[in-house]
Amino acid sequence: MEGVVHRTVEVNGIKMHVAEKGEGPVVLFLHGFPELWYSWRHQILDLASRGYHAVAPDLRGYGDTEAPPSISSYNCLHIVGDLVALIDSLGVQQVFLVAHDWGAIIGWYLCMFRPDRVKAYVCLSVPFLRRDPNVRTVDGMRAMYGDDYYICRFQKPGEMEAQMAEVGTEYVLKNNLTNRTPGPPIFPKGEFGTGFNPDMPDTLPSWLTQDDLDYFVSKFNKTGFTGSLNYYRNFNSNWELTSPWSGVQIKVPVKFITGDLDSVYTSLNLKEYIHGGGFKEDVPNLEEVIVLKGVSHFNNQEAPQEINAHIYDFINKFSPHAHAAAKTT
Amino acid sequence: MEGLQHRTVNVNGINMHIAEMGEGPLILFIHGFPDLWFSWRHQIKALASLGYRCVAPDLRGYGDTDVPASPTAYTSLHVVGDLVGLLDEIAGDQEKVFVVGHDWGAMTAWSLSLYRPERIRALVNISVPFTPRNPKRKPLDTLRAVYGDDYYICRFQETGNIEAEFEQIGTARVLKEFLTYRNPAPLYLPKGKGFGHAIDSPMKLPSWLSEEECDYYASKYEKTGFTGGLNYYRNLDLNWELTAPWTGAKVNVPVKFIVGDLDLTYNAPGAKDYIHQGGLKRDVPFLEDVVVIQGAGHFLHQERPDEINKHIYDFFNKF
Repeated sequence: MEGVVHRTVEVNGIKMHVAEKGEGPVVLFLHGFPELWYSWRHQILDLASRGYHAVAPDLRGYGDTEAPPSISSYNCLHIVGDLVALIDSLGVQQVFLVAHDWGAIIGWYLCMFRPDRVKAYVCLSVPFLRRDPNVRTVDGMRAMYGDDYYICRFQKPGEMEAQMAEVGTEYVLKNNLTNRTPGPPIFPKGEFGTGFNPDMPDTLPSWLTQDDLDYFVSKFNKTGFTGSLNYYRNFNSNWELTSPWSGVQIKVPVKFITGDLDSVYTSLNLKEYIHGGGFKEDVPNLEEVIVLKGVSHFNNQEAPQEINAHIYDFINKFSPHAHAAAKTT
Repeated sequence: MEGLQHRTVNVNGINMHIAEMGEGPLILFIHGFPDLWFSWRHQIKALASLGYRCVAPDLRGYGDTDVPASPTAYTSLHVVGDLVGLLDEIAGDQEKVFVVGHDWGAMTAWSLSLYRPERIRALVNISVPFTPRNPKRKPLDTLRAVYGDDYYICRFQETGNIEAEFEQIGTARVLKEFLTYRNPAPLYLPKGKGFGHAIDSPMKLPSWLSEEECDYYASKYEKTGFTGGLNYYRNLDLNWELTAPWTGAKVNVPVKFIVGDLDLTYNAPGAKDYIHQGGLKRDVPFLEDVVVIQGAGHFLHQERPDEINKHIYDFFNKF
């Protein structure tokens, strides 16, 4: 990709691969599962052209970043620790944060632990997940959707990796990326099978080229899925370790964007939480909630122009000087 | 103590015993090792009479509070989670509270200040200054390098090891040794040597500590053992690993720091420099006062209660 610089930064005891472009206020992009810095390809180019310094790491366990072997090295405190060290390495006090899926979950934790480091947050797909002090996270999901809910199926170390290996990396990634079925993903018993997407198309959607898919496949063939699955295996650990923040309010200004076909938006009672007042209660500076019609989970890849515009409009409110910088590119 | 109430509150998955007295703005008292709510008996009484609601829990692993079995259930995240849960439960209407911490309780208070600064109106911390996280070096590695393997914290690491030695010495005696310790030099506990003198050698209690008070301590530790308290030390490296997000973070609450000049924490290499030459102020920008009490040891608030009570009152009264 033109003008994108790749480098490796030592953060929090690991080597982190970072893709970067542009000059100006830092916009930190956090990908989700099972993705990479590359998920932000459209946003990186757009924000860089508009006077921002786009920074997109591969998170711990992904792509060209180190993947520590132990499951317990993937709790939210480790990942946020990596990112605080990354932000420090950029020499800035604050960043604009744009995050999607698991990246969004980590983004919420970053806002919770170090609100001083985040100027504003554009959150894609996954709203704040309020901690229930009486119910461990995965236990609650299991009670709601049963043992074949994908998050429950991801828990046992090695099991989902073996099931994914049966269908192959490209199948897994294509299955997930092309999913347009709302509702909680329930996997068939004992195998990956139809996985996330019972209606997986033969041809790729217009927003995902074979080259794009090949890039994802090449990286996941190298690393496997264990690093990425380990995030899910720390849901309950994260719950246990974040008891100090039960009931906390997130004070960072937030814009939330999702698609009405997104399985996250259409499960876990999140629609009610997002629109019924709970979200605003927990995030008093939630400034905007956008639901894109006919858009599914990977909205930053599927609807890049809209997402780019939404990001720019929001963060530009907090740094008007970016207007001036944009003229020079 | 008249007017003092004891009750058990269910917080963060454990049953927590608290002692409570008085009405008014809440002061949360956080004890250290090897200690109990009882450490604060003089402060509770005095501050309650001055119009504060004093709350002193037994922390997890101690006294009449639960002692979770898992050694990794004693990270600063767990302990602070208990205290935030406690505040939500008993003082949900008070957004900000006063906090007093001592020893491990001071470390917990520093953590609470980093995690939930918006819940603290002001903090009086006793004995243990803030230690900024060194991203390049784990705490145990540093302690081993500076002090060697016989340093008490290093000797506390292996589960069961020091417990067996404490059992040899006897619970009551161990507590007396800690409570009366006045040696400013680092504490070494070489294997089999105990506290450096015969375990039946006579031990004269200072004027501020009675046999009855020692009996109270002994009765509680005979019940729980020392493992709960020791587990805090066993999570030093895990705490370091888990607190990466707060590397370089400052403590942004108003603080008064008090220490006795005979306290081994004050006399540790680099401590005086850090406290007085700007390090502590850099890391705790709202540090308002540093008080060094001459001729006083580690359990300052028990040894010099009137002075400490006055320091606490004078500070909190400003808010």
